Amino acid sequence: MMADRRRVNGPPSGTRPAVFTADLQLGASATDRAQRQRQPSELRKIFLKTGLIPTASGSSYLEFEPSASLAAARANPKSLIPPSSALKLACTVHGPKPLPRSAAFSPNIVLTTHVKYAPFAARQRKGHIRDSGERDLGVHLETALRGAIIAERWPKSGLDITVTILEAEDDRWWGSAPDSHDASWGMMNVLAGCITAASAAIADAHIDCLDLIAGGVAALVADESGNSAAGTTKLMLDTDPAEHRSILSACVVGYMPARDEITELWLKGDSSKASLEEGDDRSGHDALIDGAVDAARGAHTVLAEAVRESLLRIVGQS
Amino acid sequence: MTTSVPKLAIPGQRLGSISAYSAGPGTHVQQSNIYASIAGPVVVDPAISQTNKKSILRVSRIVAGIDPSKSNQASSAASKKKPRYNTLPAVDSIVLARVTRVQKRQVTVSILVVLDDTTPANPEANQAASDNDNIASILTTAANPENHSSTDELRFQALIRKEDVRAVEKDRVVMDEMFRVGDIIRGSVLSLGDQSFYYLTTARNDLGVVMARSEAGNMMFPVSWKEMRDPVTGAGEQRKVARPY
Amino acid sequence: MSNQRQASSASQVPHLSPAELSYLYTSLSLPKTPIRPDGRSPTQFRPLTAETNILPGTNGSARIGFADGTQAIVGVKAEVEKTILSNETLASERGAGPEPTDQEGSTTAAVGGHGSWVQMSIEIPGFRDDDALPVFLSEMMRESLVGAVGTDENSDMTGGLKGRLVINKRWHWRLYIDVLLLSQPLAYPLPLLSLTTHLALLSTKLPKLKSQGEEDPFFDDDWAVAEYLYPRSSPSTGAKISSSSSRPSFVRPPVTLLVISVGENIIFDPNREEIAVADAVLAISITRDTQAGHLRLLSIRTVDPPSRLTQPGVPNSENVNMLGAVAPTDDIAVLNPVTGEEEVPGVWRPRRGGAKRSVISEMVKTVLKKGGVGEEVLEGLEGVEVS
Repeated sequence: MMADRRRVNGPPSGTRPAVFTADLQLGASATDRAQRQRQPSELRKIFLKTGLIPTASGSSYLEFEPSASLAAARANPKSLIPPSSALKLACTVHGPKPLPRSAAFSPNIVLTTHVKYAPFAARQRKGHIRDSGERDLGVHLETALRGAIIAERWPKSGLDITVTILEAEDDRWWGSAPDSHDASWGMMNVLAGCITAASAAIADAHIDCLDLIAGGVAALVADESGNSAAGTTKLMLDTDPAEHRSILSACVVGYMPARDEITELWLKGDSSKASLEEGDDRSGHDALIDGAVDAARGAHTVLAEAVRESLLRIVGQS
Repeated sequence: MTTSVPKLAIPGQRLGSISAYSAGPGTHVQQSNIYASIAGPVVVDPAISQTNKKSILRVSRIVAGIDPSKSNQASSAASKKKPRYNTLPAVDSIVLARVTRVQKRQVTVSILVVLDDTTPANPEANQAASDNDNIASILTTAANPENHSSTDELRFQALIRKEDVRAVEKDRVVMDEMFRVGDIIRGSVLSLGDQSFYYLTTARNDLGVVMARSEAGNMMFPVSWKEMRDPVTGAGEQRKVARPY
Repeated sequence: MSNQRQASSASQVPHLSPAELSYLYTSLSLPKTPIRPDGRSPTQFRPLTAETNILPGTNGSARIGFADGTQAIVGVKAEVEKTILSNETLASERGAGPEPTDQEGSTTAAVGGHGSWVQMSIEIPGFRDDDALPVFLSEMMRESLVGAVGTDENSDMTGGLKGRLVINKRWHWRLYIDVLLLSQPLAYPLPLLSLTTHLALLSTKLPKLKSQGEEDPFFDDDWAVAEYLYPRSSPSTGAKISSSSSRPSFVRPPVTLLVISVGENIIFDPNREEIAVADAVLAISITRDTQAGHLRLLSIRTVDPPSRLTQPGVPNSENVNMLGAVAPTDDIAVLNPVTGEEEVPGVWRPRRGGAKRSVISEMVKTVLKKGGVGEEVLEGLEGVEVS
């Protein structure tokens, strides 16, 4: 494990919060998994604002609405551990600026993306050096954005996009054992947030792009409403992994509504068991992609409103 | 032209059909429609040439109404709105640049500001409210020798080759008598150049040194097309001077 | 930041002129009958040579060489490791009190296995370990590897590869998959690396366990009785798993296929020149569904098409050198029906935008359909003799 010796590092393996017997007697309510209160196609509210960082040529801040259970737990804490977390991230865009002297001539803008979790962002502490998951997110984000930017308008220049994640989504409920589905579902929500926020920041920096690109997540989750047979699944938009017992597969897209095009698609998990409605003959992965696109359309309305708002703010200053 | 053009546009917003307008800066064309590619006010420029009867639809990068009176002081510029260098130098655009290195065959400059190229070589461009609205503050800080900081790496670098300095007597050019390190010059972009440098020219009367300090460190005033003078010591120094307005 | 590579594809931009790119694009996008530079059919793979078990110091290994000279070696090594019970499991055991319900919590952890038990590292000449391309490739391949979960209830492979790595509650195997690309990546190296990894995992053997239950693990010294990580149908293993059909019904490691779309055509296993003009690039991971016998999708990822970074061509009407040489009516921009962009025929424009949903859906369908490319590839790999 590489540790940055220039900093005072936290304990390497994290610490466990103390559990007091009094809390245990409180009953199950404190340590129950949060349940999804939203409709399957209902998204969490998004807060998005641009132009908050004056030294950057473009910036944005994005926050997801805390889920109902999280809001309740914050107002009336029963446990030291919050039941879930809500995404908070900041994105800055620097540039266009000259390429470093060592770089070769490029007729297009050169995009550099950098996604970093703050050390305190997730339940498990993150180091200061980017790990492979963060680098992977950076590549995903770059793929999503490069399709949206009109790169040939900015020859010989570079654009640095930095996303700092202040609070990340959990991969699963903290109380459930890491079962076979321990994939990093939270990362997919983070990526969708990164795409939306970066798009707002790019618009704020006045970089030419084809459309405001929005990120959306859809997932197939095991059905928990006891009245149906075991093993059935449900398609849900904008899933919070902490609210579900088991996520079978999930999909995140970067989507441009004006062109109806997907620049980034990341789907994983077993989507073959999708139980869709009668007469719906789409295969599981198609339904998932469509669901994620619907979620992205929802995020796009917020995104468009945020960009318009910042434009009006500047115009209104005169 | 049945559909009205929106006043403000955000990227991806449809502005009009290509049959009614032609696409200008800040827009792109897709499926025979013009879409905005940046956020800003939509401007319809009337047709200029006879061959093209369509008026040009563009989205302005410049959000009108940023108060120019406030941004004259460098201090308020920081608190209000940072100047944004997101207008790239293009061929034929007029730039202000600071000389960073003088060699026998060429001088190296770093580009400070790209002037509005809708009104090239027009001093009124400075008055237009734009991203470049505090040119004065940029120049005064840039002309100070103490401020030659390391920020040059964040600026676009350019070269003026010996043969591009002036239009006449090109073979008699001595670089030391044309530019000194720290001078602020106005130049026109010849080409995007190679991987690291743009190529500039000053071979026009209105191009050349606009601000310079003497050896004594005083700001000089121009007296002829090739001389500037120190108001305190009275000593003259040779420069390729731009025509003052 | 200056030394950081441009991500996955940028470093792969081939040095083709706009004219060459335009020619390639036109011939690859011919409706229904694309003409590939090397004369392959759209679904045909490049010829390759493969061998397995070439490294005696590993549990399993493979080498694949493409005809263009690119080669990859994969070595799989396994180590026994103590399972660290997670905080959560411990907490649930303690919290459960005197009742013996703690068994439930710990067995789920034991059966499930953990994705971090599989470690993958990819070395590509000319790239640093932490460059975007190797990281992206290894995450992509590891994701489908640990994500594949067996559906066959009575096989060892319940829980997929992760489940197979469990020895007992306190011990598990840790798998190191080291991928070495021996030559400069001429094309996007994903198909080569994925096929090689597949073969290496197929040939991987773990020593036979002699201890039982929750004892500390103790293995048979005899390498001849070692068991395959992925059980095979050959009688020597003795791993008889009910198979009703002649089709091998064993869990197989996943394969990741690289698919591109050019115009309306879908093309598999693109070489470097073909991927340079692709409209969309997808990496699709599949495996064989043990019960149903058909293929199952594990993951899809978009790969940044290098065509976005290419140099544009200049139409004659805008070319200063050609002023007056051609009538301006010579090249009139026409609408490309696929991308929706105005283009002058024969003049290359870098791609922009993304892929339509219908195109993505069609690409996945071509991989998954019965008798499609996915089955063909898996059958081909099955045919490689594992000694």
